[in-house]
Amino acid sequence: MQYRLYAALTLALLVGASCLIGVADIFAGDLDRQMVMLVSRLPRTFAALLAGAGLALAGVVVQMSVQNRLVEPSLVGTPESAMLGLLIVTLIAPGAALMIKMSVAAATALVGTLGFLWLARHVPRRDPVLLPLVGLIYGGIIGAAVLWLAWTTDLVQYIGVWQSGEFSGVLQGRYELLWIVAAIAALVWFAADRITMLGLGEDAARSLGLDYRQTLLAGLILVSIIVAVVVVSVGSIPFVGLVVPNIVSRWRGDNLRRNLPLVAWLGGCMVLGCDIIGRVIRFPYEIPAGTVFAVIGAGIFLWLLHAAPRQFHG
Amino acid sequence: MKTMIVAAGFAAMPVLALAQTTEIETAVGAVTVPVAPETVVTFDLTALDTLTALSVDVAAVPVIAPPSYLADAFDGTPTVGTLFEPDFEALAVMAPDFIIAGGRSQSQVEPLSAIAPTIDMTISGDNLLADAQARVTAYGTMFAQQDTATALLDDLDAAIENARNVTDGQGNALIVLTNGGKVSAYGDDSRFGWLHTALGLPEAFPELNAETHGEAISFEFIAEVNPDWIFVVDRGAAIGQEGEAAAVTLDNPLVAGTTAGQNDQIVYLDSARLYLVGGGYQSMTGTIDEVVAAFSAEPS
Repeated sequence: MQYRLYAALTLALLVGASCLIGVADIFAGDLDRQMVMLVSRLPRTFAALLAGAGLALAGVVVQMSVQNRLVEPSLVGTPESAMLGLLIVTLIAPGAALMIKMSVAAATALVGTLGFLWLARHVPRRDPVLLPLVGLIYGGIIGAAVLWLAWTTDLVQYIGVWQSGEFSGVLQGRYELLWIVAAIAALVWFAADRITMLGLGEDAARSLGLDYRQTLLAGLILVSIIVAVVVVSVGSIPFVGLVVPNIVSRWRGDNLRRNLPLVAWLGGCMVLGCDIIGRVIRFPYEIPAGTVFAVIGAGIFLWLLHAAPRQFHG
Repeated sequence: MKTMIVAAGFAAMPVLALAQTTEIETAVGAVTVPVAPETVVTFDLTALDTLTALSVDVAAVPVIAPPSYLADAFDGTPTVGTLFEPDFEALAVMAPDFIIAGGRSQSQVEPLSAIAPTIDMTISGDNLLADAQARVTAYGTMFAQQDTATALLDDLDAAIENARNVTDGQGNALIVLTNGGKVSAYGDDSRFGWLHTALGLPEAFPELNAETHGEAISFEFIAEVNPDWIFVVDRGAAIGQEGEAAAVTLDNPLVAGTTAGQNDQIVYLDSARLYLVGGGYQSMTGTIDEVVAAFSAEPS
């Protein structure tokens, strides 16, 4: 039970730091402190926590769905598909409401993820590294299509806004869609046992009485919505869904129902931490949290690969 | 005797026309160019802007949605590829006498040279006004429009002098560019920095670095810097793309709380003119007019 205390403490520390660190000097007194907190600091803190938690949970669901720990949404083409949807909606209806843009992005994200799932069925299972490679290529192809479309329509820098996740534009009234992630997190938690069964593979799951296809589809719909919401509101942040579930499962085994809150917590904390670092490194300018996370996440991932676990729980 | 001289003159003319060259300043130093080449293609909107001001017609332009004030120059003119990717086949068919590249097409100078003599007329951000003036002079010499060029430069000097007087003592300014929901800031050595240096407007935050795409900043930054004036370049509008407009991005309590926000001193500049055609003669004079209009309208 000790770890819960530490977890709560870390979270409190990060939230405190996030509320105190920013360009506006809230101690000087010539700015309305309460306004800065409400309009800028708190929304930014919530946005980072929600995006991080959501992406980490999405990582767990994807990993269970394809029974491979080395994949995550951004390695199976989900964000690229979401961007494709966003781009198409921008071209067809530039003034469309945010909800419409997001729905289209979620729909294309789902189609893209299902495409990967179909591919995954045809990839031999012997080598676990093969699937992420296939996903990387698959995501790359969709990404290339996005880039080509953006290039021919002069929108390259426009998609740049979504390619690297950052929180400098987050203000009250501009991030609230991310609360959808919190609702989905609850859904994932309720479905934790079913998702665990997904991870056993189709035959085992069926013999345990799970409607495999329906559960799989439901899981991937949740993943697509999470990724679409995050891409639309702050941009894509790679690695979160890969690194966080792996750290947690190494630390605490694979009891999903027990782990999910931890996964959400770690994802949120890491992304918030990266955003704080990004705010400080080149103060008063900003480095995207996605960039900071990519550097740190790559390091952690190499370490995870290198330090092979003594015993694999899954 | 007289007839003989005239006859000799006529006989020599074609030779002279071919041999006539002059030396002009380009981005890579002095270059010898032909005088008044006939078929000229430009891949640089800035060059097109200044050439139009000098009443020089070009034979082909790149494919792009032009800023409205350049629409006439584009109207009915053939296109030969984009700013970044010239259509070499179309160019080869057209066989122009001369090509002017620069800025976004700078990397194409060398491949374009294979088709016709090509000069690089890129204008750099840190010395934009001087570069822009040098280009006017250079085009004036090259297209034998020296008098017009001198007149244009005098007008520009007068416009700048007037703007300096109007903006003098009216406070500092911050130049921001919006892209989607994000903002970045531009310092006095950036591509928009001439608004500070040429017009003598103090920077609200003098430590800004030169970056092609500005420094990513937060809205808190704008609130903390608290500029008296905010110049807004809307990147989306500049490239003719709808979506979240700059005014929507900047509509928040943090920006509204600044001196600029409270005194209604947020100036939305014609972004296409400033962003796409930076350093063009008409672009500069047009932008100066906008600034003067904004400062004059303000009783503050």
